[in-house]
Amino acid sequence: MAKKKKPMLRIFLIFFVIEVILVFLSGNFNRELEIGFENGKFKIRHVESVFNLQEKITEEFQIDEYYKHHGETPKLWGSEKLYEFFRSIPMDSTPVGSFQLLRMLLIVDIVLLLLALFIRKFLTRRPSKSQILFELIYTSLEEFVTETLGRDKVYYTPYIVTLFLFIWVCNLIGTIPIPGFMEPTRNLNVPLGLGVLAVVIVHASAIKFKGAWHHIQNYVNPKKNPLFLLDIVGEVSKVVSISFRLFGNILGGAIIILVVSSLVSFVVFPVGLNLFFGMFVGTIQAFVFTMLALTYIGVEISE
Amino acid sequence: MIFNVEYIQIAAFLGAGLCVGIGAITTGIGSGIIAGEGAYGIVKQPKANEQIFRTMLIGQAAAQTAGIFALVISMLLIYGITFDAAGGWYKAAAYLSAGLAMGLGSIGPSLGAGYAGAQACKSVARMPKHGNTIMTNMLIGQALSQTSAIFALVIAFLLMFSVPNQPEGIGVGKMLVKSLAFIGAGLSIGLGTLGPGTGIGFVAGKACDMLGRFPNEKSKIMRTMFLGAAVSESTAIYSLVVAFLLIFAIK
Amino acid sequence: MELTLAQGIAKAAALLGAGLCMGMGALGPGVGEGFVAGKACEGIARSPENASLITRTMLVGQAVSESTGIYSLVIALLLIFAVKI
Repeated sequence: MAKKKKPMLRIFLIFFVIEVILVFLSGNFNRELEIGFENGKFKIRHVESVFNLQEKITEEFQIDEYYKHHGETPKLWGSEKLYEFFRSIPMDSTPVGSFQLLRMLLIVDIVLLLLALFIRKFLTRRPSKSQILFELIYTSLEEFVTETLGRDKVYYTPYIVTLFLFIWVCNLIGTIPIPGFMEPTRNLNVPLGLGVLAVVIVHASAIKFKGAWHHIQNYVNPKKNPLFLLDIVGEVSKVVSISFRLFGNILGGAIIILVVSSLVSFVVFPVGLNLFFGMFVGTIQAFVFTMLALTYIGVEISE
Repeated sequence: MIFNVEYIQIAAFLGAGLCVGIGAITTGIGSGIIAGEGAYGIVKQPKANEQIFRTMLIGQAAAQTAGIFALVISMLLIYGITFDAAGGWYKAAAYLSAGLAMGLGSIGPSLGAGYAGAQACKSVARMPKHGNTIMTNMLIGQALSQTSAIFALVIAFLLMFSVPNQPEGIGVGKMLVKSLAFIGAGLSIGLGTLGPGTGIGFVAGKACDMLGRFPNEKSKIMRTMFLGAAVSESTAIYSLVVAFLLIFAIK
Repeated sequence: MELTLAQGIAKAAALLGAGLCMGMGALGPGVGEGFVAGKACEGIARSPENASLITRTMLVGQAVSESTGIYSLVIALLLIFAVKI
C-alpha cells in the first residue's frame, strides 16, 4: 500500500519551521522582525514592538492619511521610487486616492495574467495538479451556469469564472506574509465597483432578453407593478448587500489578524488565523459573490 | 468635574461580568441540546456510539467558541488593561461597551451552532455510514454562524484598544456625544449578531438533517447552505459598518 | 465648536439611537432569512430536480425580508450623519 500523503500537514510544517526560524532571528520577544524591500534592496530590520493599535490601524489601513500627518511614508515595503511615481499621479484629492490599493490591484492583475499564461503554456492531455484545479473550477462553474440560466446561455461562463478568480486571488493575496500586502477587497471601493458592475450586467441582460420597455415598466408603471417603489429600493439594496458582505468579512478578518498578532508578539499563532480568514472565508466569500451575481441574472431573465 | 480612576474600573469590571454572564447563557443551552440529541441518538443506534460521541464532542467544542471569546474579553477587561485617570469617560464607556458587545454578540451564534450540532448528531445516528460528510458540513455551518461572533470580537477589541484618552478641558456635551457613541457601537454589533447567528445556525442544522436523509444530494444541499447563510449574514455586516462609523467617524 | 449640555444630550441620544436601531433591526431579518434558507435546503433535498427554481425563490424571499434591515441601516446612517444640532 502506498504511503498516505498529508499535504496540509506538510504545508503547516513548512510554515511552522519558517516561523520558528524567524522567531529565533528576531531573538527577543519585545522586538519584531520585519522583512521586505526598501529602496529596491532586500532588508531585514528590528522594530521595537510598541503596542499602539490606533497608530497601527492608521498605518495599515490609511496610508495616505499617515503621509498627510507625518510628512513621510510609514515603514514602506516596496520601492520608494514606485511610491513617488504613484503619488505623482494627481489623485490624492479624490476619494479613490490610495496608493496601496492601486499597487495591490496591479499585483493581482499580474498574478492572474501570469497564471493564465502559465496554465496555457503547460496545457496537456494528462493534466498536472494545477491544471486539474483550474479545470475543476471552470467546469463546476460552467455547470452552475447551465443549471441556472439554461444550456443556451452558457456564454456567461467567462464572466462568472473571471469574477470568481479575481475575487479569490484578491482575498488570498493577503495571506502572503509580507508586511504591507493587503487584500484589495478590504477597501470598499473594489467590492462596490464589482457589485455595481454585477447589477448593471443583470439589467443589461434583462433588457437584452425581455426588451427595454418591458423591463423598465416594472420600475415605473404602478398599474403593472403596484409595489414598484419597493423594487427600486430592492435594486439599491442588492448593490449594498453584495458589496458590504465581501468588504465586511475581509476587513473583519484583517483587523482580527492585526489585533491578535499585536497582542501576542511572536508569530506562531497567526498561521491558523490566516488559514481560517484568508483561505476559508476568502474562498467562501468569493464563491458566494459569484453565485449571487449569477442568480440575480437568472432571476431577472427567467420570467 | 473631578474624575477618579475608580470610575473606569467600575465600568470595566461591570463590562467583564456582563460579558461572560450573558455570553454563558446560550453557550450552555447550545452545548446542552447537542448532548441531549447525542444521548438520544446513541439510544436509537447503539452500534454507532463512537461516531455519535465524536460528533457530539466536536460540535460542543465548536458551539462554545463564542463563549470562549466572551471569556477572553472579560479576562482582558480585568487583567489586560492599565487603568489611568487620563482616560476619562471615553475609556469608561468604551470598556463597558466592549463587554456588552461581546456578551450580547455571543448569544445568537452559540444558539445557532448548538442547533446545528444537535441536528448533526441526530443525522449521524440515522445514517452512520455518512458520518464524516455530516460532520464536515456541521463544522462548516458552525464556522459560518460563528462569523458574526467574530465581528463582535473585532468591535470589542477596537473598543478596548483603539479608543483615545479624553482630551483635557472638554465640555460635558462633547463628552456625552463621544461616550454614548461608543456604547451605541457596542449595542449595535451586540444585538445585531443575535438574529444572523441564530438564523445561520438554523440553516446549517437543516442542511445537516437533510444530509442524513438524502446523502446523494450533497453538493446541492451544501451549495444552498452557503448561499443562504451568506445572505442571512448581511444584516450582521450592516451592524458592523454602523459600529465602525460610530467608533471612528464621530468627531 | 462647543456644544451646550442640551445639544450634547440630543446628539448623544441620536448616536445611541443609531446603534440600537441597527442592532435591533438586524435581529428580525437575520432570523427570518435563516429560516428561509433552512427551508430551502430541505426543499432542495426533497426535490433536487427543482434546485434552480428553489434557489431563485429563496433569494427573492430573502431580499424581501432583508428590506427591513436596509431600512434600519438607512435610519441609522441618517441619525449618524444627518442630525444637525
